[in-house]
Amino acid sequence: MTASNQVGGINRLPAPRGLLIDRSKQVSFTFEGHSFTGYAGDTIASALAANDAWMISRSFKYHRPRSVLTMIGQDANTLVQIGDEPNCLADKRAIEQDMAVQGQNYIGTLDADRGRMVELVQKFLPVGFYYKTFHEKRDSWRFWEPIVRAMAGLGKIDLKADFHHSYYDKKYLFADVAVIGGGPAGLAAALQAAETGAEVILIEESSQLGGSLNYARFDETGDGGSRTSGELASRVRLQPNITVMTSAICSGWFADNWLPVIQGNRFHKLRAKAVVIATGSIEQPAVFRNNDLPGIMMGSAAQRLIHLYGVRPGKRAAILTANRDGYGQALDLLEAGIEVAAVIDLRLTPPQDALTKAVQRAGIEIRTGHAIAEAMYIGQKKHVSGVSVAPITGEGELGKTTAEYACDTVLMSVGYSPAGHLLHHAGTKFGYDTRSHMFKPESVPAHVFAAGSVNNTFDLSAVIADGRYAGWSAAKDAGFERGGEPSQPVDRGAENQTHPWPIFPHPKGMEFVDFDEDLKIEDLINGIHDGYDSVELLKRYSTVGMGPSQGKHSAVAAVRIVSRETGMDLRNMSVTTQRPPYTPEKFGHLAGRIFDPERRTAMHHRHLELGAQMMPAGLWWRPAYYGAKADRDQIIRDEVNNVRNNVGLIDVSTLGGLDVRGPDAAEFLNRMYTFTYTKLQVGRSRYLLMTDQTGVITDDGVACRFHDEHFYVTATTSGVDAVYRQMLQWNAQWRLDVDVANVTAAYAGVNIAGPKSREVLARVCHDIDLSPEGFPYLGVRMGTVAGIPARLMRVGFVGELGYEIHVPASYGEALWDALMAAGGLNGIRPFGVEAQRVLRLEKGHIIISQDTDGLTNAYEADMPWAVAKSKPFYVGGRSTEIQLKNGLTRKLVGFTLKNADDPCPEECHLVLKGSTIVGRVTSAAHSPSLKKVVGLAYVHPDDAQPGSTFDIKVHGGRIIQGTVVPIPFFDPENKRQEM
Amino acid sequence: MKIMNCPLNGPRNVSEFVWGGEVSIMPDPNSVSDLEWGEYCFLENNTAGVVREWWCHVPTSYWFIAERNTVTDEIVRTYPAGEIFNKRVEFAKQSEDKK
Amino acid sequence: MTALPKTVPNGLQRRSFLYRQLQQAGAEFAEVNGGAVAIRYGSNEDVELNRAKTMGIADLSVLPRTGFKGTGTVEWLQTQGLTIGQESNVAYRQPGGEWAARLAPTEIFLIDSLAGSGQLIQRLNQSWTWGSEKPRKPIGYPTPRQDSHAWFMVTGQHAPDMFAKICGIDFRLHKFAVGQIAQTSIAKMSGIIVRTDLGTTPAYHLLADIASADYLWPAVQDAMKEFNGGPVGLNALRRLEG
Repeated sequence: MTASNQVGGINRLPAPRGLLIDRSKQVSFTFEGHSFTGYAGDTIASALAANDAWMISRSFKYHRPRSVLTMIGQDANTLVQIGDEPNCLADKRAIEQDMAVQGQNYIGTLDADRGRMVELVQKFLPVGFYYKTFHEKRDSWRFWEPIVRAMAGLGKIDLKADFHHSYYDKKYLFADVAVIGGGPAGLAAALQAAETGAEVILIEESSQLGGSLNYARFDETGDGGSRTSGELASRVRLQPNITVMTSAICSGWFADNWLPVIQGNRFHKLRAKAVVIATGSIEQPAVFRNNDLPGIMMGSAAQRLIHLYGVRPGKRAAILTANRDGYGQALDLLEAGIEVAAVIDLRLTPPQDALTKAVQRAGIEIRTGHAIAEAMYIGQKKHVSGVSVAPITGEGELGKTTAEYACDTVLMSVGYSPAGHLLHHAGTKFGYDTRSHMFKPESVPAHVFAAGSVNNTFDLSAVIADGRYAGWSAAKDAGFERGGEPSQPVDRGAENQTHPWPIFPHPKGMEFVDFDEDLKIEDLINGIHDGYDSVELLKRYSTVGMGPSQGKHSAVAAVRIVSRETGMDLRNMSVTTQRPPYTPEKFGHLAGRIFDPERRTAMHHRHLELGAQMMPAGLWWRPAYYGAKADRDQIIRDEVNNVRNNVGLIDVSTLGGLDVRGPDAAEFLNRMYTFTYTKLQVGRSRYLLMTDQTGVITDDGVACRFHDEHFYVTATTSGVDAVYRQMLQWNAQWRLDVDVANVTAAYAGVNIAGPKSREVLARVCHDIDLSPEGFPYLGVRMGTVAGIPARLMRVGFVGELGYEIHVPASYGEALWDALMAAGGLNGIRPFGVEAQRVLRLEKGHIIISQDTDGLTNAYEADMPWAVAKSKPFYVGGRSTEIQLKNGLTRKLVGFTLKNADDPCPEECHLVLKGSTIVGRVTSAAHSPSLKKVVGLAYVHPDDAQPGSTFDIKVHGGRIIQGTVVPIPFFDPENKRQEM
Repeated sequence: MKIMNCPLNGPRNVSEFVWGGEVSIMPDPNSVSDLEWGEYCFLENNTAGVVREWWCHVPTSYWFIAERNTVTDEIVRTYPAGEIFNKRVEFAKQSEDKK
Repeated sequence: MTALPKTVPNGLQRRSFLYRQLQQAGAEFAEVNGGAVAIRYGSNEDVELNRAKTMGIADLSVLPRTGFKGTGTVEWLQTQGLTIGQESNVAYRQPGGEWAARLAPTEIFLIDSLAGSGQLIQRLNQSWTWGSEKPRKPIGYPTPRQDSHAWFMVTGQHAPDMFAKICGIDFRLHKFAVGQIAQTSIAKMSGIIVRTDLGTTPAYHLLADIASADYLWPAVQDAMKEFNGGPVGLNALRRLEG
């Protein structure tokens, strides 16, 4: 390829052609290292074509040269790499100054790809290659893997690159009526809907409204399309209640008209009461030998090049057609100064209309009842050089070649298939219409409407009428009815648009059905004969329709081939299911701003200032320990020792808090928890153990009775939201006179613990009698701490004298500051979750969901003391009763190591009885207070008595022995916490 | 994404809701057999057709009942739980825990 | 408005969870009711007023608010002189400029006026007692709304557009009336939005989990960027209210 010196490119046509380009702004870029210049508004593909550089990529399997096919991003021929961004569509992506573009999928260079040799060995790569090669000969994968990996795949991602995340975001949009597609049907629908007063959003993929009006030819003079486009678009722009979004793609339809719309780096989530789908149709290729050569393109692609970009698709063209559009293309080419070698019409007797007559008048040779038998090339298949044509003698059968035409361009205009992806997503049933030879929507779901060529309507005035009808119907459906019902078109002009069998096998093959996957007619036939004789199975076996263009051009041909090979009636068939997204979406679009809420306590910044290592606890962050990571173990020991010997302070704000209030508050807790609370005295607290209906332990906490009718209930950090929700769900059934409020975040909390905690607290708490008699163990009080209103609780949190203090969250930092200051004289130091776990383990306290699992019941957890047996009811009661009756299969016990030199087991190390797994270690740590390993484990009930030993399988498969000991491990008589 | 109509908050994206299981009436735990209790706890009807379910609007923790067709994926009706649960539930009184 | 003496947030016991972020944004604080509220950012109050008119956010977390819920709540508050209508998810303005947001048939979230005197709120908090009557008359229960939620106010003509980036509710002026409430998911958090315009400027209270204030404040400002939005002080809001 050579770079052109001519401004705008050697193939550039003069204005006014080139609707989308701005000839006043030149843009330079490189492709494969060569410099090119195009105009602002050019796509990479149009700018390359303008410079006569046609080869854009190599095909997936055979590495055949590929070029422009659709000029609208519906094919995979134009996938290129831009910098580190792979798989960009060159026929959609606008050029930018200094953009560096590379081809993909080649070895060496795009121009001289060594991978093209694969085509020579194609008979060794049959359809179902992977299944056949690796099904039994698994070892051969070792040989094939490096070859396959090197040859397959698209684009390159540099995994070592320093990825920067571009700014992507999401936004909701709301509309009464959403119209997808800004062609004639969509424009008419939007206008009609807007006239009722409905709010309308019109989504158009291109940068300009108009759709096919902007490039297709509707009449002999050739200006009807642009005139209609201009008129409809300007009316749309004048409607204040139509919002137009251009360069925007609606990539899917989801339940209740939830429409993802991608525009630039923004992912819109459009919710519409009703939606009109006017997405048009996709031009279908003809299948003949070498139909993939550069220079062979859809008729509509040539028209897009000419009218949208002002680019000449070639110098001499052959047109293969089966409809009037092929004749319109012939006129377009002639007017653009391109020679037309011949119009080859698959139909024996095409209807005579103004366009065909004009072509005849122009003296162009028209061969009816003929097809292209083969496309020719010179050298390395880099461009088409001519076609041979032959008469059609039967369905897919050709006679002897009757002529050859030299040409550098072949246009295919043999039919359409509805761009019905969104209708498919919505659950529309499509049926094969034997008159138009196309699939058409038969039953469209509620609140969804189809209009235009996606709805089997092709005549322009019928398309506009269909759009009006759909717009009116959608507005009515959305609650906006105004004016009479517009009439539906009678003749939709769908006949004579699509040929029933544009597929012509050649003795030498290479007739591509699927350009993405390099599948030929014989590949599909072989797949069917291998037994994959339904469309869905054949797709998965042969990969037809599984490439980047998702069967946009191959699905219908595949159905036709299956129909013929199996004898199934097309009317009973459909194309494979289409699922979102319609076009590739980037991870950036799906990720958006990555909202990732986290929760911090009022003292969070104090912890950071004190050098805390923070750890997550659900959405919360909690201090693990205070100090350098390198000193972790020593710090945790010091923090533990300081609590046991002195006084420590821990932030417990994350613990759940629920206010349960009302005349039935005690009765409610009786039903929700295993214990009884009716007789709990005001000013006292009691342990709470929650089980679900199946008797499984789900949470624990403490109930603090501040009033006859008021319990302040604590719950675990990660459990409180579920506990709260379940309380509300149960009381929605029981209808007790009780109110539950989740006040977790509203209270900051600390626990000041250690033998000197009373002394420290007394310095800042003056309105509560802190003496052991005045505020005993398990007592709860309301008062003030440092002048801050507080709820105080004496609970056995870490087994030391201690006070849990809860204050309104906004005061949390001030409370922390006051206690740290008050404790300075006593050497107070904060302790984190790690020290707390050791301290609590020394006391044998279980952690719900660490020491319990999804099956643990109260007896397994050895907590029969927490279960009230004569209550009329509690949620898990009936199941717990059955579990007790059925007996236990495991039991949670405290243990130490028989041999003190053995390593400390870790969580989930197995407990064995003989060779049978009977349980696991749930917690274990070296206790600084006892100077030995202590832990909790599930063991066989027979081994649960203190003194029993059991086997633990630790790292490396080593078996060590644990000895069951009574809990608490530390201070077994609980004297310290009750001081 | 589906829209669910919350009786308190109106139509919302279904992502604002959590499912709370089928609405089933608890058998009397004091008289029901172990087997029947187990079935109540563990078996769902898994109806193909209209089911009656608990749903909770998470931002408001509001529980309500939805009737939903599992075949057509249509939400037929939503209404406050009080339509079905309209009186205080008592359990057979036994003596208060003697512990 | 006379200049208030310089206030340091951590000089007071009641603090916004955000005060460090506000300081970094250049906030000047004033004491309102025992808390330090960001009163202005920078010296040009007209620039700030303009920002509030187009796209602004203020942290009002230390201003007074309270709540009541449970059977009898609305009836009791009505006997206390509050005007509360029938509909839930509507906020009712009180004569003193406070808003009683009816979150549910038996739940009220009461937010103070921008004056922040807290008079009504303190009176109600003090009036509520268990009493000694047996059986007790149902009057609902107080809820700690002063501390459960951070309180932001989002102002300006771009507010509905900005909310569309973080929330699935249609907040456009003709779709979401003054006084309307949405309890919904905002930037993946549960929250409450109440529209109470300031003069002619669209304005929305945004109430959400106080523990996530540090997360939500920058998340909203990120969404405001394209509208050149940013933090505004209480003074700007008061000027908008006129």
